[in-house]
Amino acid sequence: MIPFVLMAFTAGLLIGLSRQLNGRLSLSTSAMEASFWNHIVGAIFLTLAAFALGGLFEGDLENIPLWAYLGGPIGVIFIAASSWLITRIGAVSTTMLIIAGQMIFGILLDMIRGVPGDLTIRILGTALILGGMWLLHRPAKAAA
Amino acid sequence: MTTAPLYSLIAFLTGGLLTLMVLTNGTLAVYGTLLFSSWVPHVTGTVAALAILAVLKPKRAKPLRPPLWAYLAGVGGAFTVMLTSATVNTSLALSGTIALGLAGQVVFSLFADIRGLFGLPKKRPSARDLTALGMILSGALLLVLMGGSQ
Repeated sequence: MIPFVLMAFTAGLLIGLSRQLNGRLSLSTSAMEASFWNHIVGAIFLTLAAFALGGLFEGDLENIPLWAYLGGPIGVIFIAASSWLITRIGAVSTTMLIIAGQMIFGILLDMIRGVPGDLTIRILGTALILGGMWLLHRPAKAAA
Repeated sequence: MTTAPLYSLIAFLTGGLLTLMVLTNGTLAVYGTLLFSSWVPHVTGTVAALAILAVLKPKRAKPLRPPLWAYLAGVGGAFTVMLTSATVNTSLALSGTIALGLAGQVVFSLFADIRGLFGLPKKRPSARDLTALGMILSGALLLVLMGGSQ
């Protein structure tokens, strides 16, 4: 169990590391160019991994809905935007606000699609996230 | 280290893009392997990024070449998929994998800002920033671990 806990935690560390490196690359190039390099390097690495591990094209690939292929272009905007943000507001704010957006849009999407869930937990979680966001950009010298 | 509202809004909407990617890439994983569900968006993303670069032709910020290690972010992203696709099938499941992933991101971002890792500016989080971080993280963990979905 502990190795898996460490693996899942390391995955989060690597997301942070990638965001930091993309941000650094965007300082010398542009946010969009950083996003391009992120994608092509990842694509090459995953292609090599597919050769080593096999099984890339297994499954029921003919029946994939076309909209499911939009994740790539959306990801390009996502990486460009987060590279642009991290050089301006720092890693902590970028990370926290992206998590906030992901969670709240996730709740909205779940509710639209009728995914069952505990309403009290949803309201409490959303309130904590919105409260944290409000705190994050309150002016430093504002009267308490 | 307060954040201007415009940046907050952009970062918040950027997080919404991630929700859409979880949906699209998760759907790919229903029909194909987890490797396939990460390989496809990297390949189509490369093509999309090339097209956008060809149209917008953004200027390079500096004539100096960036350090070579700055190009390696994509490897980190690819490794992330391998790790999470392994842990998602254990008793951690998707919720445990996401929760630990959030914790990893937060720890890294704190360390990155305090030390100014990899050539980005140093920022010391204030007590208020840390309170905000605690609230957003606990709200997110509550939704992931007890919300019954995500």
